[in-house]
Amino acid sequence: MITDEKRQELLDRLRNSVIQYDEDGAKEASNEVVELGMDANDAIFNGLVSGMEEVGRLFEAQEYFVPELLMSADALYAGLDILKPHVKQLDLGVKGSVVIGTVEGDVHDIGKNIVKMMFDVAGFTVYDLGRDVPLDKFVEEQLKTDSDLVCLSAMMTTTMVGMKKVIDDLRAKNPNVKIMIGGAPVSSDIAGKWGADGYAKDANNALKDAINMVSSLKKMKEEAEARKKG
Amino acid sequence: MAETRTMTPKERVLKLFAGEKVDRPPCFSGMGNATTDGLQRLGYKFAALHSNAKMMADVAAATYKLTGFECGVVPFDLCVEAEALGCEINVYAHLDDILYPTIKKKIIHNEEEMGISIPRDFTRRGRIPLVKEAIGLLKADIGNDVAVGTYVLGPFTLAGQIMELNDLLKLSFKKPEKVGNLLDILADAIVLCAREFEEAGADYITVREMGATSDVLSPRVFKNLILPYLKKIFSQLRTNTVLHICGKTNDIAPFMVESGASAISVDQKNDVAETRKKIDKALLFGNYDPYNVLVAGSEANVRQVIRKCLDDGVDAVWPGCDIWPTVPVENIKAMMDEVYNYRRPVPNKEEIKK
Repeated sequence: MITDEKRQELLDRLRNSVIQYDEDGAKEASNEVVELGMDANDAIFNGLVSGMEEVGRLFEAQEYFVPELLMSADALYAGLDILKPHVKQLDLGVKGSVVIGTVEGDVHDIGKNIVKMMFDVAGFTVYDLGRDVPLDKFVEEQLKTDSDLVCLSAMMTTTMVGMKKVIDDLRAKNPNVKIMIGGAPVSSDIAGKWGADGYAKDANNALKDAINMVSSLKKMKEEAEARKKG
Repeated sequence: MAETRTMTPKERVLKLFAGEKVDRPPCFSGMGNATTDGLQRLGYKFAALHSNAKMMADVAAATYKLTGFECGVVPFDLCVEAEALGCEINVYAHLDDILYPTIKKKIIHNEEEMGISIPRDFTRRGRIPLVKEAIGLLKADIGNDVAVGTYVLGPFTLAGQIMELNDLLKLSFKKPEKVGNLLDILADAIVLCAREFEEAGADYITVREMGATSDVLSPRVFKNLILPYLKKIFSQLRTNTVLHICGKTNDIAPFMVESGASAISVDQKNDVAETRKKIDKALLFGNYDPYNVLVAGSEANVRQVIRKCLDDGVDAVWPGCDIWPTVPVENIKAMMDEVYNYRRPVPNKEEIKK
């Protein structure tokens, strides 16, 4: 067992590596976590994700912009790649799989990749269809993988309208699937009108929404643990 | 009420650019405005326009003929320069839906490949000659009545097309000098392309630098890394020019003016009343939402938004982006009508004293 002091030191290092987009720092701290046998879940959520939350705040305050966000994401993945094989899977009572992609006609995938990262962190199985994805492919992939959630992204007004078709198709074939849409031109109005369950209007909101999802997952995890102990 | 003024739409736009007095703000655009109505009347498919000069010009002219919208603009996609530089594009010819062409294959795949050079026959490559031809056809068709416009990309936006945007953004931070070198080369290419369009008779050219919006990049990076190359472009163009950036632009609006463009163009995220204070009398075009208002909004909504643009102090009523083709013709007509009949509120005595 490691001391509380050491644990806190490692968490701080992980957190700061993400905030300061220091990939090497994230790798070193993650390797130490593994060597010392510290809980990988703890390191991910209270270290890496905590750092990403701060990055989200800095982004919102317009101290950070997209380049910083991308570099922080690289640092997070550098740590996550090392820690993930050591995560003990808990039975969360949810399947937790998601189909994600940017709609056909749109080759912008930065927002989509940030959301994807948060699902990766949360331990979701992510079926990433990439960018410029033909609309039928979303429906096909959802049916094939029986995923709980489908996330559609469009960066431009000119490609956003394709999302309505996907939503209609998905609903017709599977009324229970949750659908989230995102991208600069999307509004809550449009999400409502088209029957999506959630929306994120930009990278920051996507990040916040995804973090919220991860947080509720964390809570479920803690409850599951409490039940086990109790 | 129909228009009662005598200035032609073309005179109005040209006088505005020349800094002369106009009888009212024009209502036009520097970006694409194909309509499905126009496409249907002509019997054209959207995907076919991009590679046919006549079809391109016909559809551009149809918007003016059907609605009175005060310009003709070609092309309709954003891939002309990238294609001439060697990228492969996708026009989605297999689909009946309207999709704008995108870049399928980039020419820079890693940092080491950033030292590109402009092909010697650049202006004869891809669709640059085709767009040039379309400008000529459009001039011949409606060029006496309305100003004919075209556009090129800004250097940063073009860089984001010919290499991975992800890499470009990170390198802007990690290795700005390397990105600067690429932008310098691309600025030269953009000038070459724009010169061709000037030669064809374009009355104004919009430089679309939407990749440099403050939603993505800090105003500091915009000023240090991108502005110098925009200046380089505008200093070499002879015709009227507009710099367009969408998304958050309030903090960079003064830099946009500093670029040397004849006018700046912003979208619905800009607080135009605020911007007006910052940039004084510089020409400011904007800023209605071309999808949520003009396409999806009611006629009443359109009128209200257009009045707000004018109240806030735009010099021309102008959309925040390309107009999505399914736009109801009635909505464009309502917008035009609002512009025809708008009277600037008479300032009260307090304001006059100021």
